[in-house]
Amino acid sequence: MTPASLRGWRLVHRWTSLICSANLLILCVTGLILVFHHEIQHMMGEDLDSSHTEGQARLPLQSLVDIARQADPALVPRLLSFDAEDKAVNYIYLGPPEERGFDLGRWVVLNGFTGANQMLKQPEETLTGFLLKLHVDLFTGFAGQMFVGVMGLLFVVSTVSGLVVYGPFMKKLAFGVLRFGRGTRIGNIDLHNLFGVATLVWAFVVGLTGAILSFSPLITGYWQKTELAALTARHPEPMTGSAVAIDRVAAAGLAAFPGKDLAFIAYPGNEYAGSRHFGVMVRGHTELTQRLLSVALVDAETGVVAETAGTPWYMTVLMLSGPFHFGDYGGLPLQIIWALFTIVTGVVTVTGFVVWLKRPRARTAPAGSAAGRGNAQGKLGSKA
Amino acid sequence: MTGVWRIPAALAALSFVGLAAAILGDGVWDWTCWAALSVPLAVCAVKLWRQWPG
Repeated sequence: MTPASLRGWRLVHRWTSLICSANLLILCVTGLILVFHHEIQHMMGEDLDSSHTEGQARLPLQSLVDIARQADPALVPRLLSFDAEDKAVNYIYLGPPEERGFDLGRWVVLNGFTGANQMLKQPEETLTGFLLKLHVDLFTGFAGQMFVGVMGLLFVVSTVSGLVVYGPFMKKLAFGVLRFGRGTRIGNIDLHNLFGVATLVWAFVVGLTGAILSFSPLITGYWQKTELAALTARHPEPMTGSAVAIDRVAAAGLAAFPGKDLAFIAYPGNEYAGSRHFGVMVRGHTELTQRLLSVALVDAETGVVAETAGTPWYMTVLMLSGPFHFGDYGGLPLQIIWALFTIVTGVVTVTGFVVWLKRPRARTAPAGSAAGRGNAQGKLGSKA
Repeated sequence: MTGVWRIPAALAALSFVGLAAAILGDGVWDWTCWAALSVPLAVCAVKLWRQWPG
């Protein structure tokens, strides 16, 4: 690598890191707690009711929809969603009849076995909800979410550029050397290098998946406007009669994908459905396949499947980004490992910032002098 | 591969294996994930422990 290109990489590493460092610290602190959000919700009694007896039959979906509608008779059901982890929990979205999205209505959460209705608290009313909102969009909505996504991308560039500048810097140093006796800056550089390079792959994956999740409204919107729109456009017939029962729609969708589970069912007119077709989304059972969605368009008047389709690669990437960002796919030990990696990433952020704060400022020492050599060495050591 | 990259490359490979393992299955896959991902953390901890001043 030429000195000029190394200087360029150092600049990239310094500025991408500095720009995202404040947001990164917020993400580390909130993420560290959110890794254990299930445990915290359980501790605070905020679990959703999933009580049922062994062998108890689920209520028909139509019964659940009827119970949900009692929450607000002016609204109509627009979408039913099924929790992948907790089979007892059903989310039902009620909205105005003409609404395609999810802005004007309300969500009702029901126990699928007992029909017990549970009020969803506003995010600000629970600790995990508050932290999640801070983590995802800094309480500034869509713009904040895009900002956090850009910070995530900067963090990814920071990890890659950090790796590039690591090699030349470590050429004459042993791996993992920590020169704490050589002053604040050197000690922080060494700690930054060791922790950074040891956890680099984890940081890269979590940063990249976090950025992808931040851009999920754009990615999902693109899918809706392209492939999903093309799918529904091939079946443009309007509704002329009444719709069959939702249970028949679910059965038709499941029959089209044997062995799969329901992910969600969108009513005709919703942005995930056609004008007279239900959109039935299904997924597999395993940690991997439950992130892979397929869709069946089911005719609302006949209950017959009109067409089936998979989801494009970018939706699969988006769906798979979830577990690799949350660390929720390997039990409590993985959650603890995730938390420890988060702490290490926080240390890398802080030590990098300290290295930048303590950067050598003398720039006028004559070449060849001790100060000049020290400065050059200092610059070589500058990773922040 | 030069000496500079030997250990970081090994830690990176273990991290990839660890991250991928638990998504592929339960049981032995989970154990593989926990074991592989623990190595980079253990390296950080041991290096810090051994060189901590005083």
